[in-house]
Amino acid sequence: MSRLIETHHARNPRLWLFYAGIGGLMLVLVSGLIYRQLLKTNLYSGKERLQNLRRVVVPGPRGYIYDREGKIIVGNRPRFSVVLNLAELRGEFRAEYRKIKNNYLSLAITERPDADQLTRIARASVAQRYLDTINFILGRHETVRSTDLTQHINQTLLLPYVLLNDLAPEEYARLIERLPVSSPLQVYTASTRDYPFGAAAAHTLGYTGSNNDPAVEDFEGADLLTFKMKGSVGRTGLEKIFDEQLQGETGGAIYLVDPAGYKVELPISKRLQQRRPVQGHNIITSLDLDLQLAAERAMTDRTGAAVALDIRTGEVLVLASLPSYDLNTRVPILTAEQDVEKSGVWLNRAIQGQYPPGSTFKILTATAGLRSGAIERDNSRILCPGFYMVGNRRFPCDARNGHGERSLVGAIRDSCNVFFYKYGLETGPDLIAAEAHRFGFDHKTGIELPFEYATPHVASPTWKLATLKERWMPGDTANTAIGQGDTLVTPLQVACMIASFARGETETKPTLLHDPQRPAQHSPAIGLAAGDYQAIINGMEQCAQIGTGRLAHVDGLRIANKTGTAQKGRIDLAWMVAFAPIDNPQIAIAVVMEGTEPDVGYHGGTYAAPVVKAILEAWKEKSERAPAPPAVNFKVK
Amino acid sequence: MLPKRFDQVSPFVTLGVIMLTWLLLPLVLKTFTRATFFEIQAPLTVADSYAHDLQDFWSNRLHSKDELLQAGRDLAGLVAKYDFSVQQNQQLEADILRLENLLNLPPLPAFRLEAARVAQRDFSGWWQRFTIRKGQNFGLTVGAPVVFSGGVVGRITEVHRYTAVVDLVTSPTFRLAASISGDNRPISYQGGLNDSFKAPRGNVEFVPLEINATRNTPRRLVTSGLGGIFPAGLSIGEITNLELSPDGLFKAGDVQLDERIGTLTEVTVLVPLNPEEL
Repeated sequence: MSRLIETHHARNPRLWLFYAGIGGLMLVLVSGLIYRQLLKTNLYSGKERLQNLRRVVVPGPRGYIYDREGKIIVGNRPRFSVVLNLAELRGEFRAEYRKIKNNYLSLAITERPDADQLTRIARASVAQRYLDTINFILGRHETVRSTDLTQHINQTLLLPYVLLNDLAPEEYARLIERLPVSSPLQVYTASTRDYPFGAAAAHTLGYTGSNNDPAVEDFEGADLLTFKMKGSVGRTGLEKIFDEQLQGETGGAIYLVDPAGYKVELPISKRLQQRRPVQGHNIITSLDLDLQLAAERAMTDRTGAAVALDIRTGEVLVLASLPSYDLNTRVPILTAEQDVEKSGVWLNRAIQGQYPPGSTFKILTATAGLRSGAIERDNSRILCPGFYMVGNRRFPCDARNGHGERSLVGAIRDSCNVFFYKYGLETGPDLIAAEAHRFGFDHKTGIELPFEYATPHVASPTWKLATLKERWMPGDTANTAIGQGDTLVTPLQVACMIASFARGETETKPTLLHDPQRPAQHSPAIGLAAGDYQAIINGMEQCAQIGTGRLAHVDGLRIANKTGTAQKGRIDLAWMVAFAPIDNPQIAIAVVMEGTEPDVGYHGGTYAAPVVKAILEAWKEKSERAPAPPAVNFKVK
Repeated sequence: MLPKRFDQVSPFVTLGVIMLTWLLLPLVLKTFTRATFFEIQAPLTVADSYAHDLQDFWSNRLHSKDELLQAGRDLAGLVAKYDFSVQQNQQLEADILRLENLLNLPPLPAFRLEAARVAQRDFSGWWQRFTIRKGQNFGLTVGAPVVFSGGVVGRITEVHRYTAVVDLVTSPTFRLAASISGDNRPISYQGGLNDSFKAPRGNVEFVPLEINATRNTPRRLVTSGLGGIFPAGLSIGEITNLELSPDGLFKAGDVQLDERIGTLTEVTVLVPLNPEEL
């Protein structure tokens, strides 16, 4: 029987060579181990981390925008999608790949797709199979786009692949009831902007666009491969200006992935870092939704703008611009005759529209005249024959046959051009322009909206010489005195002017933010004697009662208003400014309506007055239910 | 030496052989085996159920005549109440039909009611199921809703020749489109991980933000009818608390379910008369 175990002597010299070799190799191994595990630990753990971890960033929902009474005017709504969790389909992808490949082989086709093409076909085929399930449940006929799927797998594999977006509630209900809980198909929700009132205040509120690169702050893993869910960013209006406040706080999670990049599900206790997204801050605007809707309804389908301000605080109650667009679909709301390009639907006329102020400017001409002494409230009178001669040029009045004798009050009431030609010329263009400057016609109002028009025109000899390189003519003064010519203003500027005038001051800084504790605004006094100021007010009150602005009359409300008519190229403009109540001014309004129809007399008293009336009626109805704010402290001398 | 060593490893070899055989079996045979497993088991389940019924019968025989008389009187009262309800329902159904005709609405899906005895309960932390004593022999179909007097019981997930398996409303694998009573917006209900001996509960998701519910002011959860499987208005339970979901878009919360679900002995299957309408 042979020996099963051989023995040897440890001192056998032949073994020393072997021991040395083994020892050397062990030394190399141990050195390598020490080098990698101790010296290069950070390098390899960093590489391992980069290979095995992925960061998914989820933007927080945007904050809401409310009107001054707490009504949501911009909110968020859930957007339901049906998504496919690709990580669960790897087996199916492989099986489908083999099946398709075998089919090709069995058919002995020489021109076969290569491996990449086969992979794409297999993936699309599997995804389509799942989409067919959805199609069956929802009665749809959708197909998977292979290129989209491939792009998704290559770029955002960790995120679920969206098969259908923006499901109706009924579709979502059918899916959650019919899809198995464990299916790779799942219903996914995301936040999207919701505008409950559609086109109301569309230009003011603005809209958002996709943001593929939401900001990530204070969330670890900046070095990791990061997948970002789409966020949104304000593009226009309040959404743009207050984007920083409205933006939610980004959340996210760090996931463990396998070498192919698919997510490895960890138990809850072992989940890696996760942070919930947080909704952005809400904004309470000064807009009064009831007044806004009343104004937009009254403007019907015409083109124009309406602005209403809280006289005491400068808070904007109404900021309307038509034609508009439905914020939910961003589709212009136009009549059949209107052309998208020509209508300027995207223009926010309230802050960007450049209009000659028409006869509403006569309030400033009267103020300038009274302050300079060119107009004396009791003595300044004129017999209006229907025109006024400036040199050889005949300047017409609205009343072709003349108004007869008119004082300051009567001239304002009936909007007599002749009175203002005469006394405008006596006041002089520089003083009239200075008055316009004092009331802020030469600069932006600074409202919290983007793209407010930057360079409004106030016509004056200096301006004309500098800009047009032309000499100022007396006819220019006559035109300027009645608000025609080169002076261009925005409806918001005119609203600020009338709000300032109602307070007996010269400047109003409008704001779109509501603050119940906001103190009353104060600016330099108008600088008129009380009697002079009252004369203008009387003229405006008579205008609202029996003059050109009588269509804006509201029972039980003392209104001061002034109509205006102007032309800008081929466009006729119908203006009206108003404030009320006269004994305690609280709301100031400016409305301008555009008209291009030939042979239609666009007068402020006809086309702008109904809008003013609608706003005032809505305001009166609401103010009767609420206590009146403290009376304005007039600064009239 | 060899036979002794083989003895030691023979259980593992046997297991390996069985597993290999199972792996090598044709797919058709495997499917057949799986399907027949339940059918072979079914008679035992049904027999066990009948034995329990017999046990109940004899235990009921132990009641005194006075108790039986009292139960009879109570039953008569209930029958009178139900008779009245049936008349009211007939009147309501006639009204609904008239309104459907007036408004040209498509008729609501019609169901045949099939009462079934619960034969077996299978409750675990991961799923809760009933096996009922009716199957294909009574025309039951997969997906058919199962209800009782307190509302939703569950949905049929497997139908065998003589039995059917019902996935209970308490089970985490059960999900349906619900709505809060008086509000027609669909929300998602899903069963929860239920511990034994505790009141059954489920979860709701996608609840609109303005809806509130607390233990003191719970909101009744009913089927929405929008999912196409359950008719609208069946009671599911009561929402006892709602919290803001992580994304801030909705609320999510707990639903207290009817405690009788775990002890039901008789349920009703709503078998759709025209499954293609659903």
